[in-house]
Amino acid sequence: VSCSMAGEEVFFLEEKRFKQYCEDFVKHSQQIGDGWEWRTSKDLGDGYLSKTHFQVRNRHIPPDLKEKNNDNTEQMLFAHVEEPSDDSQAAGVCSTEEVVRYEYHVLYSSSYQVPVLYFRACFLDGRPLTLDEIWGSVHASYQARLQEGPWDTITQQEHPILGQPFFVLHPCRTNEFISAVLRGSQDHRRHTNYITLWLSTVGPVVGLNLPLSYAKLAPEQST
Amino acid sequence: MTDDKDVLRDVWFGRIPTCFTLYQDEITEREADPYYLLLPRISYLTLVTDKVKKHFQKVMRQEEVSEIWFEYEGTPLKWHYPIGLLFDLHASNTALPWSITVHFKNFPEKDLLHCHSKDVIEAHFMACIKEADALKHKSQVINEMQKKDHKQLWMGLQNDKFEQFWAINRKLMEYPPEDNGFRYIPFRIYQATTERPFIQKLFRPIASGGQLHTLGDLLKDVCPSAITPEDGEQKTQVMIHGIEPMLETPIQWLSEHMSYPDNFLHISIIPRPTD
Repeated sequence: VSCSMAGEEVFFLEEKRFKQYCEDFVKHSQQIGDGWEWRTSKDLGDGYLSKTHFQVRNRHIPPDLKEKNNDNTEQMLFAHVEEPSDDSQAAGVCSTEEVVRYEYHVLYSSSYQVPVLYFRACFLDGRPLTLDEIWGSVHASYQARLQEGPWDTITQQEHPILGQPFFVLHPCRTNEFISAVLRGSQDHRRHTNYITLWLSTVGPVVGLNLPLSYAKLAPEQST
Repeated sequence: MTDDKDVLRDVWFGRIPTCFTLYQDEITEREADPYYLLLPRISYLTLVTDKVKKHFQKVMRQEEVSEIWFEYEGTPLKWHYPIGLLFDLHASNTALPWSITVHFKNFPEKDLLHCHSKDVIEAHFMACIKEADALKHKSQVINEMQKKDHKQLWMGLQNDKFEQFWAINRKLMEYPPEDNGFRYIPFRIYQATTERPFIQKLFRPIASGGQLHTLGDLLKDVCPSAITPEDGEQKTQVMIHGIEPMLETPIQWLSEHMSYPDNFLHISIIPRPTD
């Protein structure tokens, strides 16, 4: 797996900038009640973004649900429990075993100088999802890539601050697509929140979506 | 006078005499004898304990056997840490052999990564090597290698083949003649007392004036509590591969000669024994 494109400019994110983007991101999240918070570690002062939410695992998605996802017209494997009207459209009654608690963390990798998405998932009775169950729940459009090389994409790793097992979306390829997008316009580089850009791309792979209002987030909008 | 290359061999062939005992609550059809094994410091528990697993499974019923895991004095042992690191961190100042308890039930989901096959170990090992090269060479050396070279690193480790491994690994230890070392040093500092599993930061081996940074410089920068003497007495030991290197040792030299096969320097800060 190539971690950098020879001869191409790659856009690296410094840790200070990462923290600033996260701060702006959290401010917007608070404004719209999206549930993200910043957690600082007690010993070294580094930290990470964190969000927890609950999702219902449905095997069959009612057709109406497609329009509900205003930023994604493809069929989702998950329905969000926050929207009450979804319950009435979900097929049958969901037992508690079918509700999954997802915890997402965004950490900074100083080795690759990119953000990294860590996540873990468990049923309400505490049983964690296995790697196979995680792979199986990955968005349909990414399934093909996963079949090629699962070990390059989602693996189980030790959380570098908490020391507990989490699943991780491999940071190796982040620079490839981030650079491709940012290369588009010099202006965009100044006005785009890197975290918004990155998370809106990698998040959906693992069931994490950002409301469209994040796209309005630009450095000059924060104090 | 010892050649630097001898250090590479000493590191590779380091062994820890270990006694594996089955956890008393495991259900057996007859009593299980302990199993003795010399563990390679540079390898991983789940890579070198097939014989241990077979030995204990012989006295157990198939349905009682789930994923194997290891524990030392109540602490689940992380298979994804090299064996030498686990020993230095948890048991270096205790009497040999190292006594490890073997479990086949109640896998501690909150503490340990799963290891269902050798592929998982290989993926982890290669991910560490790639991260180390990202730090040393912006990934240029590892990316220029062919898949078969990557495979050779793994096979060298798996089959305990020093020459096979170093035929490829030596390339990961080179640097441009105009530089005096790597871009950053791949290292992790471990202390059993912290919630944080390890400290890892960007650290350059060469100072702006051209001087070589030492192990002491690294610790001062990243983990000052490890070397600040309290009451005039050094309360901790800084250990790599079972020894305490002099703090004056250039970190570039340590990185080239005392890294583990994953190309990281795994450094333990442990309490100094009071005797």
